[in-house]
Parts: sequence; C-alpha cells; structure tokens
Amino acid sequence: MIGFAVRRLIAAAPTLIAVLTLVFVIVRIVPGDPALVILGDQATPEAIAALRARLGLDRPLHEQYLEFLFASLTGDFGTSLVTGRPIVSEVAAVLPHTLDLTAAAMLIGTVVGVPVGIWAALHRNRAIDVAARILSLLGLSFPVFVSGIFLLLLFALHWRIFPVIGNADLADPVDRLHKLVLPAITLGLVMAAYITRVTRSAMLHVLSEDFIRTARAKGVPWRAVVWRHGLRNALIPVVTVVGLYVGILIGNSVLTEIVFNRPGLGKIIVGALNQRDYAMLQGLMVIYCFLIVVVNLITDLTYGLIDPRVKHA
Amino acid sequence: MRLRAALLAGAAALGVAAFGGTAAAQPRTTLNVGMAAQDVGRLDPHFAVSTIDRVAVAWMFNGLVRFKPGSINPAEIEPDLAERWEASADGRTWTFVLRRGVQFHGGFGEVTAEDVAFSLRKAAQSSTSAFSGDFRAFESVEVVDPHTVRIRLRENVPSLLGLVTNYAGGYIVSKRAVEQKGDAFMRAPIGSGPFAFASVTPNQSLELAAHEGYFRGAPQIKRISYRFIPSDASRDLAFQNRELDINYGRAQTAWIERTRRLPNVVVDVFEPAELAILNINTRQPPFDDIRVRRAVAHAIDRSELVRWRGEAVAREGQSLVPRGYLGFTPDVPLPGFDQARARSLLAEAGHPNGISVRVIHTQLPEMLSAMQVVQQQLRRVGITLDLQVVEHATFHQQIRQDLSPLVYYAAARFPVADIYLTQFYHGRSIVKTPTAVTNFSHCAMADAEIDAARVETDPQKQLALWAAAQRKLVEAVCGVPLFETLLVFARYGNVDYGYELKGSMSLGPLITEATRFR
Repeated sequence: MIGFAVRRLIAAAPTLIAVLTLVFVIVRIVPGDPALVILGDQATPEAIAALRARLGLDRPLHEQYLEFLFASLTGDFGTSLVTGRPIVSEVAAVLPHTLDLTAAAMLIGTVVGVPVGIWAALHRNRAIDVAARILSLLGLSFPVFVSGIFLLLLFALHWRIFPVIGNADLADPVDRLHKLVLPAITLGLVMAAYITRVTRSAMLHVLSEDFIRTARAKGVPWRAVVWRHGLRNALIPVVTVVGLYVGILIGNSVLTEIVFNRPGLGKIIVGALNQRDYAMLQGLMVIYCFLIVVVNLITDLTYGLIDPRVKHA
Repeated sequence: MRLRAALLAGAAALGVAAFGGTAAAQPRTTLNVGMAAQDVGRLDPHFAVSTIDRVAVAWMFNGLVRFKPGSINPAEIEPDLAERWEASADGRTWTFVLRRGVQFHGGFGEVTAEDVAFSLRKAAQSSTSAFSGDFRAFESVEVVDPHTVRIRLRENVPSLLGLVTNYAGGYIVSKRAVEQKGDAFMRAPIGSGPFAFASVTPNQSLELAAHEGYFRGAPQIKRISYRFIPSDASRDLAFQNRELDINYGRAQTAWIERTRRLPNVVVDVFEPAELAILNINTRQPPFDDIRVRRAVAHAIDRSELVRWRGEAVAREGQSLVPRGYLGFTPDVPLPGFDQARARSLLAEAGHPNGISVRVIHTQLPEMLSAMQVVQQQLRRVGITLDLQVVEHATFHQQIRQDLSPLVYYAAARFPVADIYLTQFYHGRSIVKTPTAVTNFSHCAMADAEIDAARVETDPQKQLALWAAAQRKLVEAVCGVPLFETLLVFARYGNVDYGYELKGSMSLGPLITEATRFR
C-alpha cells in the first residue's frame, strides 16, 4: 500500500506542474495590475513602475516562471504582494479552519446522507423516498448564503447560542467546536443532500443486480443482503463522490466562510484574485493541488478497504 | 420550547455561556469595529490607500499637524507632533518646532526632527510611497536641530499644512523602526498615535493596543479589535448581536433608517463625500463633438439620482469639484436636465436616431447600480450604453488604457480644489501619458488657471482662478457631475468618540485617547 501511495504521488507530479503552469499563465493573462491595486488610484505611472520593479513583475515571464517553479519545489512561496506577509504563514493560519470545516461538513454529510439514501432506496417511490428526494433537492437548491443567514438569525440573534463572528481561537478546542457548529451544519446539509441522492441511486442500481436476486433466492436474510452485499457495492460510487466533493469543498466553502466570517482557504483565494496577488494565488494553488492529490489518494486507498477486489499492487 | 431547551442544553454542554454574561458587569475597554473588507493591506501609512487601511493607520500615526477630530475643514487644522510652525513671507519655507517627549510605540524612542525629515522624504519617493505625487513641490526637508525641521518648496502649494497633516503621506514614522524592520514594517508598523499595532490575523482581524505613553494621555479604550467582515449581512447581524460596537455602514437611506430603528444605535453620516462624475473622453467620436457631450449633460437628472441613492446620504453634484472643498464654486454653467434639448443636440450633431456606445464599467454593486440608473437616463434621449461589466481591478486597468469613452468615477480627495482639478482635469494627468493620473476626459483647457492657482499667494485671486478653471471645464463638458455620497458608520450609543463626528479624512471614525464607553 505504501508503494502504491508513493507511485500515486510521483504520478501526480506532472499534473501538479501542469496546473501550476496554467495558474501562472492565467493570473497574468487576466487584466488588472497588482501594483495599481496596491498603490491605489492616485498613483503615478512612475510609482507603479517602481513597485512593479520591486515586486519583480517587470522581469521576463520565463524568468518569473522558472523562479516560481523552483521556489514551489523547495516549498518557498514567498510573500504576499499586497500584505507583504509570508504566504506559508498566511495559509498555515487558515488551513486548520478549512480542514475543520471540510471534515465536519463531510462527517455531517456522510452520517446524514448515507442512511437517508439507503432508506429512500429501500422504500422506493413510497412517501419516505419522495420526502428524501424533495429534501435533498431543497438542500441542493438552497444557497449557503441563504441557509447560513437563516441559521444565524435563529441561533445567533434569536436564541443567542452561537456567535455571528466565527473566527475561533485554534488553541481553545471548545471555542473551536462552538464556532464550527453552524458553518458545518450549513455546508454539511448541502453535502448530505448530494450524498443522499448518490447513495439512493447506487443502492437502487445494486439492488437490481443478479447477485442480489441470487442471494435472496438462496435465503440470505434481507438485512444481510442489504448491508453485506448491497451497501458494500453501492459504497464505491459514494466514496468516489465524497472524495471528489471534499476537494470541491476545500475551495468552494468560500461562501460559508464569508457568511460566518470564518477564515479559510477559499476566502483567501477570492481575496488574492480580487487583488491580483499573483504570489499568493500561486502559493495557494500549489497547496490546493497538493490537498486534492492527497484526498484522491485517500479515496483510492479507501476503495481497497471497501472492496477486496480492488488491488493496489 | 423543547427545541430551545435542547439547544440551550447543547450549548451548555459545550461549556459556552450565552452572550451578555459576566462581561457586562465589568467596565468595557475593548472596542470592536467591523469593516467591510477581506483583510488589511500594507500598514505602512505611506502605502495605506484602501479605506480599510486608511481607517486603521489614522489610529496609529500622527502628522505634524492634524485635522481637528471630527472635522475635515482645513481652516481647523491644529498642532499634532509640531507644537508651532511658521512660514516665510513667500510661503516657500516652512519651519516646524516639535513637541518634546513624544514617544513612538514599542520603545522606539522619542519623535525627533530626524524621524520627521525621514518620513517626509520617504513619502515623497515613488519607491517608498503611494503618495509621492503630492510632494512634487518639495525641494528639501532639513533637520535644523533635534526638535526643529524645515521644509523648502520649489514652488508654492495651495496647502502645505495639508501635506503634513494626519492624512496620506503626512504621517510620521519611526526612522529606526523602518530601517530596523525593513519590509516587515508594512506588516507591523511603528507610529506615535494613541494605538499601537499588536497583531494581525489574516482574514480575521487587526488588533491594536493602547499606547499608554501617548502624549495626549493614555487612551481610555485599551484595545481595538478591527474585524474584517466582507459580507454586509453578516456584519450587520454581528452588530445587531452586539459583537461589534462600531459598524461600517452602507450609503443607503433604507440601511440607515433600518439601523437607526435598532435600540440605542447612532448612525453617523459624515464628510468627505465622494463625488461621482461621468467623465467624457473629448477626443473620441462621437464625444469629440461638444453637442453630443452637451446632450449627455442635459440627459442627466441629478435629482432622480439623489432620490435613488437616498437623500440622507447623497446630494447633487454642482461642479467638477466636490462641495465644501476650498476653491469649490457652484457658479458654473452646468447644463440643466432637459431631455428635449438633449435630443435636439443629438440631431444637430448628425445623430437623429441616437447613438450607441460601448462603455466599460465595474461589477462593484454600488457603482454598477449607479451606472445603470445613468444608463437608463441616457437611454430616454436616445443614447444607448452597452455596458461591458468587468471585475474591479480590470476596470481600473482598462479605463487607464483609454478603452472606455465614458468613465463613471467616484472619488474623495484632500479638500482643496487643486488636487481634484489636477488629478482629473490637468493635461499632465491624462491617461496613457508618462505622468498620467486620472484625467479620462483628455481636457487640458484649464491648465493655466489650475497651475496659476496652485502657486497664487493671494487667497482671493486663488479662489477666482479655481472658479475660472471649473467654469471652463464645465463649459467644455469634460465631465458631468452626478451626485455626492457621504460616509456612513453606525455605533452603539455607549460609544463616545470624544468629539462630534462631522468629517474624517481617514474615511472612518477617529479613535482617540478621549474615545470611551459611557
């Protein structure tokens, strides 16, 4: 398994370099000058040119690119063009918040979504199934800035149980958990809705397979058929979807972060994009790609645990 | 009730007391301020260009002189680090005598003439300041003795005191701190103001601590937590939940009325107003024909724009310089709202069926919605604007590349007409030139008056020259003044700024040593 993991990481290297190249090119193609953003609208062309030189933006693109690639390989992402703060420390400061939110949302999504999906599949076209489908559709349709604000109105303003400002003290586990509850529910319910639909669909497909019919014909109890034969096979697409969704969650939790005023990777990415902070964007993309590779690797390894037929050799 | 009980029990299980618990019994000394921003930028005051940065550096730094707290009236400028000053008869040599014993934060020692000279030289250099253009007239800054500094000018400026006030490039930094910290200074600056930098948490907050050795006395507020909350809805909820004491407000009458209805809340609406102008590129067809420009001007209904924005926060633009600025005059030939006249002018100019123009504009909601009202007004007379909505940084770059014949631009500047007129309507500031700033109209017909007013020592003649410049520019329809929007902040009634907030050049409330919780 270790060999498999190492091979996967090595195989991810070309993807990583391709993504980095793409990011490097795209952020420079997009109009908007970081020097103008930093210096403001009263800046003279002379001041803008001076700052561009200081930031190294006046150098040939290939030089900037090679320097960026080399720096990325050595883990030195430099400093933010806008704030001057080291990118690694900026990311390190927010990454735990992002991982907390992602893990909690995934947990809620899985704990709610998988059983509801199975339940709906087992009661196909009955009231329970219809209710599960409608609720999951609502969950997917409700934007987090609506559900998030609704939860804040209820739990922060009306009942005053949770705060509106969700920047937790990482050193205090109670505070960390306290400020995670509402954002995790907001994001977790969206994920639960998604997982419910995928689980239901996968279960329905598996339950119609010949081997299920055979198992039932052989007299295997229905509960064992569902849990041992049905669910185990249905979980493969569910794990795939969860793995993909975790990657999306890491970057796309930005709306949740904004509504609950939580720090996070998504929020930094949007800020860096608005301010044309090339250095920050590039650094964030390296880290983000790395996280995606790791998540995909974990997903692949999980297949082996669920389905012994999947070999990592 | 069972749900509520369960939720409360859950919260108790987390060991969390409901808000408003024991803290209420103790005197409050931490001020929580909410700001509509993602993060602070550079905290070196000479690079503080965004509203969020300007508000914060004003709490940390002093100038040689300062606007009286709560005012932006240049006539009310008073001593700050300098206890007195004098100017030579020709107005080109200014000598400032510093207060003794003023201390920088963090043990960086006393503020001396060396620090002042270093700061002003730094502010005047394009490599170390975003405001270097303001100091073009500076010839030298000399240290006369440890507490005396002399500024020599190449030519007169309309307001030398304005350049050395607690605003933009006028802030005084610690020379030793800048040299010692290098690039780190922009992240953890050292000033001499009532509050000192304590820490910054990216995307969350900037924490400031009281400067106990502040020369005007130890601040009554001991800590400021400056929270970055970009979502208006979340910030408003946090304010309602009393997690914030002061909240950056929206310049909308509906928001103001709604917020004023909250118990014990005060909404301050204050200067400087941002004047929104529809700048017209006088070189590009069809706007190179003055009849078309006049048609645009006649099509604009300023009163409708003010009603749309809200009379509590907006007022009609009256000239190409904001109201209240030294040198502003309402005595200009501003074309009145007259749709029939606009249509006939278009027909005279050979466009009986109207015109269609492609215009670049930002996606920032406040600016976009204003431009959509303008678009609607122009459409009524046959001028169709094809709005190309782009992201804000792109907008700023593209309008400086002369890619839009009409440029909606809203700005506030130091309240002296010279700065507004020079940046927006002087030939030297035309975009895409080596000395460009924000002259999108390509107008240069008032350069002589603007230049002459800048160095004129007789105040009456100076005012007359600025008025003449405004008349020429309005006559040529270089731009159409639309409306002015004031600043809005809300606070709870127990927050006493220690002064009456009528204006603030830092674009936010000044927190001084006198600010306190009642």
